[in-house]
Order: sequence, then structure tokens, then C-alpha cells
Amino acid sequence: MSFLGGRSNANTGSVNYDKIDMAVTELDTVTDFFNRMVSSCYNKCIGAKYPADGDLNKGESVCIDKCVAKYNDVQKKVGEKLQSRGAAAPAQNQSAFGSL
Amino acid sequence: MSAQNAEPSLKPPPKMAGMRTVLQYTGIPPSWLDKRPKLPSRNWLIFLSVTSTILGYGVYDRRECRRIQQEYIEKVQELSEGPLQPLEENRKVTVYGAKWPGDEDHQQALKYFRKYVKPILVAAAVDFDMYSGKYLGDITKRVAEDIRLRRRLEAGIDDDSEHKKLLPTYKPLSERKRAELEGGIVLIGRPTLKEYMAGLKQGWTNGLEKVEPEDVLAREFDEDHHFDEVDDDLPTQPEKPSYSPIFTMTSQAMQQKRTTSADTTGSDVPPPSTIPQLPPILLVPFSNRIGFTQIPLMIWDWFNKRHLVQSGSEAAYRLVLANTRPINVPEQPTTEFVDAETPSEPQGGITPPRQEMGDLDFDLSSEAVIKKSLNKLPAEVEESRRKYYEKLPERLATARALSRGTREPTKDEIANPPPTEVELRAERMKKELAWRRDVVGWNTVKPGAPVTWDERFREAIRIFIDPSEQ
Repeated sequence: MSFLGGRSNANTGSVNYDKIDMAVTELDTVTDFFNRMVSSCYNKCIGAKYPADGDLNKGESVCIDKCVAKYNDVQKKVGEKLQSRGAAAPAQNQSAFGSL
Repeated sequence: MSAQNAEPSLKPPPKMAGMRTVLQYTGIPPSWLDKRPKLPSRNWLIFLSVTSTILGYGVYDRRECRRIQQEYIEKVQELSEGPLQPLEENRKVTVYGAKWPGDEDHQQALKYFRKYVKPILVAAAVDFDMYSGKYLGDITKRVAEDIRLRRRLEAGIDDDSEHKKLLPTYKPLSERKRAELEGGIVLIGRPTLKEYMAGLKQGWTNGLEKVEPEDVLAREFDEDHHFDEVDDDLPTQPEKPSYSPIFTMTSQAMQQKRTTSADTTGSDVPPPSTIPQLPPILLVPFSNRIGFTQIPLMIWDWFNKRHLVQSGSEAAYRLVLANTRPINVPEQPTTEFVDAETPSEPQGGITPPRQEMGDLDFDLSSEAVIKKSLNKLPAEVEESRRKYYEKLPERLATARALSRGTREPTKDEIANPPPTEVELRAERMKKELAWRRDVVGWNTVKPGAPVTWDERFREAIRIFIDPSEQ
């Protein structure tokens, strides 16, 4: 890869760091979401029962299906509400700044 | 004891000597040991008996509920023990719960399902998809649309998108059909049955093109005179509705835009003469008491929930065991029963329930609970329609005058701007859609209306039955 001038290298470097940060945050979010979902659905569907064997039986499988779907729905809804709150709040902040 | 012998009394209190000797040192006040047990007073007796009857009946009912549900769960539990691969799917049923006419809460049918039928299905590891009808006729529309899309897929007009095919859980159409046939359809209550059958008939009789109800109505409105110009100065143009100058599209241009944007592929495919096998149907009896006069019966129902648990669990058990038989509807001599849109009985009167339709008479007695005041719905809709069209010309004149600048807006009108002509048109479209939807929905579901039936369904529909009926 041929590098362009020093200045353009610095520019591409700063944008790259932002993107890397975003990607790291996203990875963290997704991993955390997944871990919580797995532990929550395990507790609800399989819970404290002594495991009879290593395979999931039909009842547990259906339960986990439903649990994952619900968890996804909840996460989506909460995300939407947060976003609408977040969209409303900066708008208010901006108007405060504008009046100063 | 010697003190007792010294005191003469008219009625010596009967006491067991043994008990007294044992109890006298326990700290119980000695006067209590000599007293004769007696019943409480008359008033206390009345109070205690009434209270304990009510309480006892309630407790008995709830214990029976728990026992019945536990019994059915135990019958069904073993079916859930068996391995299942992570991406494999177990049996899945579709649950339809239509809105009960007169009830503002459209979830009542699905609440009944969740409370009385679902526990058994969960114990048997049968999965389910729940669909609620938000207004009368919602299930009809949904079912008809699903059938139309399925017919398009089978005719080859549509195909699953490439993205869908790349998913690891993608199942080709044949597999989906097989899974559906193994699954089944659950209908909660008689209104749901009526809506479902009407939807089936519509789905298998209409063409395959997509029909937007707004376009159909807009075409009707073009012939209408409500938005005509009323002008004394200009020569009246008889049959042409014209738009305000702000809106430059003419009515011809609008029509052309509509026809080119509508997708008319598939309109030439005729409806099939035989219908393929449909998933078997589970009919779950359900009724919903609405109204002030029903309150005593509602209280009685609250004390008798065990009957609901029994019927709900039985229905779930039938579904789980999956024994089916073809639907049983006796041959009808005349064609008047085939067309459900125009019942031959007089409108407005309450027709007695007919008992000749075999399986389609399911839960006929639940229709007695539907509020009689709902029969006035078509008349009420006509009334509001008439009133709306009476008020429309003056609002239209105001809108046109303000938009063309023929007069200045008053102070009130600056504060609350009246609707413009475009808004008036949109409002009229919305109202007409809502009125027609309500009337059509009520006509499908009202107590006198027969369940839609088509001879093609005879071979295609099966019903879940009790194991004992086989």
C-alpha cells in the first residue's frame, strides 16, 4: 500500500481511531447483550433442575425459543425509547444554547 | 370436686371427669371448664353460614381449577421430553382471537387462551403464534391476505427473496406447508370462527392482485359530487370535480397515476375449483359477558372458573393428541346459506339460532351474550355519515374561500386554522374507510349472520376431536 503525504496520513489515522472505538463499543454491547440473554433464559427455562442429560428436550427448546424472541423484542423496544429520549434531549439543550 | 358436690344447681353441667382433672391445671380459667357448650346467637349463625358458604365455594372452585389443570398437564408432560436439535422446530400452531363485538379490549380472546389453553400446550412443548383481531373483520383481512400471498408463491408469481434464502433457518415452501399441516389453527370463540371462514372464502375466491382499499374508494369518490365546485358566477360544470388551484394535478392525471402504480399481475388467474388440504382447526368455546345487566352472571362465572379450565384444557388436550376428522356440514338444499354477505333473515331482528349447520354451529349459545344494542350499528353509521355530509359543503366553502384569497381569515380562523381542502379530502377518505370497515366487520360477526361456507371447503378442512370420539 502506498502512503500519500504525511498530512493525509494523519487525517485517515484520526478517522480510523474513531471508527475503531465505535466498533469496540459495539462489540462490547453485543457481547454483553448475548451473555445476559443466555444467562437469563437459562435461569428461566432450565433453572435449578438437575440436568438429566446434556441434550435440550422439546419443552426446554420451545421455552428458549420464546425467551430469546422476547428478550430481543424488549431490547429493541427499550433501544427505541432511549433513542427517542436522546433525540428529544439534545434538541432541548440546543435551544437553551441558542437563546444565550 | 368437693366444692361441686356442695353446691346445689338445677342443671349440673355435664362434664367428663377425666377431662376436667386433666385440664384444671393447665391454666384455663376454671369457669370455662364448667360451662356448657352452646351455639352462637342467631345473628352470628346467619353471618357465619353465609360467609363460610361463599368462601368455601370460592376455595373449592379454585382448588378444582388447580387439580384439573394439573391432571391435564400430567397427561401431556411426557410429550415434551425428547431431544430437539437447536435449529430444529417443534410443532407450531397459529392462534386467532377475534375482537368480541361490544368489547373495547380486543385481547380478551387471547387472554382466555393464555389462561386456560396455553399451560397445557407449554407442558406438551407445542409452540404457538398468537394473532389478535384489533377490530371486527381484522382476522378476515389477515387470513385473506395470507392466502393470497401463499397462492402467489405457489403459482410462481412471487418467490422468496434471496436474502431470506440465505438464512440458516430458511425452510422452502414445501417444508413450511408440511409444518403447517402438522401444526393446526386454534380459533377462540364463535366470532373468530365466522371471521376465519369469511377470510378463507375471500382468500380462495378473489384474484391474486394486490387491492388497495383506498384506491377502490378513491375511484368511487371520483363519481361523487361532494367535492364539486358550487359557484354562482362561473357556469356550472356538471360532472367534473375540480381541485383547488394549489393542487395542480387534474383528476385524470390522478387516475393514471393510480392505475400505473397498482400491480395488476395475477389478476387473470381464476380462483381454484379445489382447495388443497388446510391445517386442522381447533374450536375453543369462549364467551365474554359485556354490560351492566350481566354483572350478576359475571359474579357467578367468577365462582365457576373450573368449567372454563375444564373446557380449555380439554381443547388443548385435543390439539396435542392431534386426532382429526373431516368437517361435518350437512348438505344445504338452497344457495342462500352459501352467501354470507346478505342473510335472508330480516335485519335488526334477533333470529333464533339455527341448529342445522353441523360443525358450523359451534358455540351458538355464546351469541346470546352479545349486546343487543350493537344491532343498531349500521343505522348509527348511516346517521353519522349523513351528518358529516351535511356539514361538509360549508367547511369546503370556507377552505376554498380562504385558499383562493376571496376573503380574509377572521381572528378565530388565524388562531385555529380550519382544515384545507386537501385535509378535508383526506379526512373524508379516513372516515369512509372506517365506516365501511365497521359495517362489514359487524355484518360478518353479528348473531344472525351464518358462518360463510363454500363447498370447496368440505374436503379441505379437518377438525380436532376428542380421543374418545374415534
